[in-house]
Amino acid sequence: MKTRTLILAAAVAVALAFVPMFGSDVMIQFGINALVLAVLAQSWNILGGFGGYVSFGNSVFYGLGTYGTAIAMTTYNLPFGVGLVIGVVLAMLGAALVGVPILRLRGPYFAIATLGLNGAMMAIFSNLPIAGTNIGLVLPLTRNDTMFYELSLALLVACTLTVFWISRSRYGMGLIAIREDEDAAGTMGVNATLYKVTALILASIFTAVAGGIHAYWSTFVDPASAFDSTLNVRMVIMCVFGGPGTVFGPVIGSFVLSTVYEVLAAQISTAAALLFGVVIVLAVIFMPRGLADIMRDRANFTLRYFIRNIRENRL
Amino acid sequence: MTAPAKTPASRTVIETRGLTKRFQGLVSVNNVSFAIAENETLGVIGPNGAGKTTLVNMISGTLTPSEGEVIFDGARINDVPAFRRAHLGIARTFQVMKPFPGMTVLENVAVGALFGRDGGVKSMAQARESAREWLEFTGLGKRIGVGADSLGGPDRKRLEFAKALAMKPRLLLLDEVMAGLNPVEVDEVVDLIKSIRGQGLAMLVIEHVVKAIRSLSDRVMVLHHGEKIADDDPTTVLEDPRVIEAYLGKRRT
Ligand SMILES: Nc1ncnc2c1ncn2[C@@H]1O[C@H](COP(=O)(O)OP(=O)(O)O)[C@@H](O)[C@H]1O
Ligand SMILES: [Mg+2]
Repeated sequence: MKTRTLILAAAVAVALAFVPMFGSDVMIQFGINALVLAVLAQSWNILGGFGGYVSFGNSVFYGLGTYGTAIAMTTYNLPFGVGLVIGVVLAMLGAALVGVPILRLRGPYFAIATLGLNGAMMAIFSNLPIAGTNIGLVLPLTRNDTMFYELSLALLVACTLTVFWISRSRYGMGLIAIREDEDAAGTMGVNATLYKVTALILASIFTAVAGGIHAYWSTFVDPASAFDSTLNVRMVIMCVFGGPGTVFGPVIGSFVLSTVYEVLAAQISTAAALLFGVVIVLAVIFMPRGLADIMRDRANFTLRYFIRNIRENRL
Repeated sequence: MTAPAKTPASRTVIETRGLTKRFQGLVSVNNVSFAIAENETLGVIGPNGAGKTTLVNMISGTLTPSEGEVIFDGARINDVPAFRRAHLGIARTFQVMKPFPGMTVLENVAVGALFGRDGGVKSMAQARESAREWLEFTGLGKRIGVGADSLGGPDRKRLEFAKALAMKPRLLLLDEVMAGLNPVEVDEVVDLIKSIRGQGLAMLVIEHVVKAIRSLSDRVMVLHHGEKIADDDPTTVLEDPRVIEAYLGKRRT
């Protein structure tokens, strides 16, 4: 990766850190949501983008992160930091328990198997007295949006640095080899099961912390919002829109889509979801390799680029 | 039956005992036993569908045998997964080539260096350096930076070869690396294979080009309908009437 790209990325991160000093409340709140979503997309990128395994179960780690934090803070009066750790541990356990059997499945079978996880978790947590059953839990109120914003930003930086390391490491080469051809990777010595499960566990850590931060910020957790499968769909869309298997693609993808959605929602509230869907469909057709692919080679960003993609999609 | 192979002075690297593979009703490999010693090259010939690739699949761990044993370095490895066999030092090429299409040529070979024998090297720089050397060696030095999916047929064969070599194997299984090459290219690959012999490497070379097999092999094994019908020195085997009838005769017509 070019040094210029890295310097630019660091500058953007620093600039973003100053937003709370100048931005309005609405802007900071939008920022928190966008940053949390970017963390989710970037985490999804680890197994999905590098390993090529499409998971619809990552939102479960988000839910475990929210509940771990919420239960620790409400039922046991523990500090926020301890709650986050509990959420992360729960999510990592979940990832390991689910990952070992499910990651034996290939391609679409893996994706289908992960689809059921949200429903299962929702059913479990709706019946857990310690988690407030289906009523949910109310967390202590802390009016400090700047703190939540900076925490989310720090988490995104940590997650992106991790993905950056992956992209240049032996570990990442193993994941990419699995994505490209799992059988060939195996015969070349890549322990595919170990790599896939650790990728899922790594993703679960950042996803759970994002869930914990969001839970404390919104002060409310219930099964439907914690285990929300549409949240997972958004992770996939944002990552794929930005460029799966790239370092900055998922971040750019989620910032762009969060902004588009915000603008659409402000202009024409009811049709926003529909228009948002149209934007995504067009994006997938015209640039299936994501925004990052266009940015990498701007000279290529011509009409011919789109025409070639349309041909490749056999439309 | 076939005459016993000349007793190798050095250690046996790979051995199979009564190896059999059934697919539903079809017996693809039937009760095949053979051994390859250090520094030895075994040529394997046989008509299409004879079970050559299936045999390699069972040794590399892509398929589990229905019966029989695969013994590497004196230990039974039937239940050892493919990636561990790579760590033991078993490397193979795929007849149906399996490059990692989204990676560059260099990265493809670096995977071999990073994960091959003994788990490979840990440093990316070292892996790239070793990959570069193997690519020079196999004649792909000028294509290092291109995407693997943009290589043509013969170059893909070379890439398969370089990927396997980068794993620093003790047993190298070459499944038709010369198929589709022109005579000049075949000679080049034969020279390459000859130059990596020694240093303990055991090789199994599946090939249809008789001339190449003759010049490379210390012994030749013939498979026919999944059964071993000959295993001896190249001259004896290639002049065996049954072999000519089963295989060579047909190919000449
Ligand atoms: N995975 C498989 N499933 C079913 N049949 C197979 C499979 N692999 C190979 N075969 C069959 O086994 C026989 C031997 O195939 P193969 O080992 O590829 O032969 P060769 O490499 O000698 O041409 C063929 O009849 C082939 O159709
Ligand atoms: Mg074959």
